[in-house]
Amino acid sequence: MKEVSINIEPGEFVSIVGQSGSGKTTVVRLLISEIRPDSGKIVIGGWDITDIKKHCVPLLRRQIGVVFQDFKLLPKKTVFENVAFALQVSGATRGRIESVVPQVLNIVDLSNKSNRYPQELSGGERQRVAIARSLIHRPKVLLADEPTGNLDALNTKDIIDLLLKINEFGTTVVMVTHNKEIVNSLKRRVITLEDGRVTQDHKVGKYII
Amino acid sequence: MFLIALNRTLLFALQSFWRNIWLSLATVFVVFLAFVSVNFLLAVNYVSDSAINLVKERIDVSVYLKPEVRESKIAEIKTRLESMPQVREVVYRSAQENLDSFKQKHEGDANIQETLKELDSNPMGGTLVIRAKTLTEYPEILKALDDPTYSDLIEEKNFDDNRLVIDRINAIADNIKKVVLAVSLIFIIIAVLIVFNTVRIAIFTHQNEIAIMKLVGAGNWFIRSPFILESILCGVFGCFAAFVFLYPLLSLIQPYISDFFNGADFNIVGYFTDNFLVIFGTELVAIIIINIISSSIAIGKYLNV
Repeated sequence: MKEVSINIEPGEFVSIVGQSGSGKTTVVRLLISEIRPDSGKIVIGGWDITDIKKHCVPLLRRQIGVVFQDFKLLPKKTVFENVAFALQVSGATRGRIESVVPQVLNIVDLSNKSNRYPQELSGGERQRVAIARSLIHRPKVLLADEPTGNLDALNTKDIIDLLLKINEFGTTVVMVTHNKEIVNSLKRRVITLEDGRVTQDHKVGKYII
Repeated sequence: MFLIALNRTLLFALQSFWRNIWLSLATVFVVFLAFVSVNFLLAVNYVSDSAINLVKERIDVSVYLKPEVRESKIAEIKTRLESMPQVREVVYRSAQENLDSFKQKHEGDANIQETLKELDSNPMGGTLVIRAKTLTEYPEILKALDDPTYSDLIEEKNFDDNRLVIDRINAIADNIKKVVLAVSLIFIIIAVLIVFNTVRIAIFTHQNEIAIMKLVGAGNWFIRSPFILESILCGVFGCFAAFVFLYPLLSLIQPYISDFFNGADFNIVGYFTDNFLVIFGTELVAIIIINIISSSIAIGKYLNV
């Protein structure tokens, strides 16, 4: 990425669009400190994570919800355990886990499938589990990297509606996508990337490449 | 907080062991095979040691005394020999016993029988049969008999005749020990490498899970500890299984080994029972250390997410 300067306000719903290789996913990877920038500065909620220390990375990731295209669920853990895992890593007590996880599963409408394993769920359901997991820490920011990339039209709509609902509760949502229809229907801010540079940034934007 | 972490580590390890049961069983099986091989080698080592000792035990040195030596003097020599730390046992065969034995041995030889009848007195003296604690100590024992007080009473010592045999047995025993040690070392190294790589492969299959755990904010130790504990569990189960398998197997083959060595009393099961804590304890500690090292190295590779 080169000469990129993006400022996202709290509570915004931003779509980052661009062709393959334009640097969309790199933005997400930089924000969760999976990779480090060669130069420049990354600040999230006042926290400068540019040169974040290794042992602080887990703390950062517990404060940002992330949803991936390939769901990234733990295959040998049930729906409940996958969501609970995000709480367990921060040392939450069993009591807290047993009270919070069902609430979040209720939000994504998966209460009745909490004992299923990921492979027993549809793509849309798996993505809802991933969203539930990302919400468990009540993050201020939710990053969604191609969250509908592996889903059919019906499930895509469900997931986008869910992300909008989460945004309505005050969470900043940053969605990386190349789904033109979704971006155009949202009528929210759109940042367009090309060859690692920001070419367009509109408050109410459209997918134009 | 520590108790919660400990509880979760244990829970995740057991959960992962159970939910990846085929992978777990494969790992346990490899550890089991490694231990069966190592313990089988220990059994071979024990049998070869026992066989060598058996041969060594059958070696003795006879000191033939002159016929005129008095019983009291013989008792003195015997006591002197028995007081030596190198001597395990001294057996005295009287002149009469030697004569009887000689007659019996040459029962069919009329000439010898006739000659013996013509003699007025017993031409044979007594014999002291000496058994040393180890083969290498014979020269020192016999050196004591070179003392002029005793040497005049001795007709002959058969050590020189046996020296070649004893030296050869010693050389063979030493070579067998060296070969067994070399084979054992090679085998142990192979077993360690196989276990080491099996654990690494098992962890390799979890690399995506490890990456996911990192992405949802798990710390390195939170991820690492259940995997290490799981690999320890595989090692411990494999070690137990090997012992459970070995005892009946060794009991089964023990009579055949005894038969092979003409009824010699080789108690392999007894050897494992007597040294159970040392053998089992050492193997258990070894497998735990190997698995901690191998799983730590393997996980470390996938933690940089």
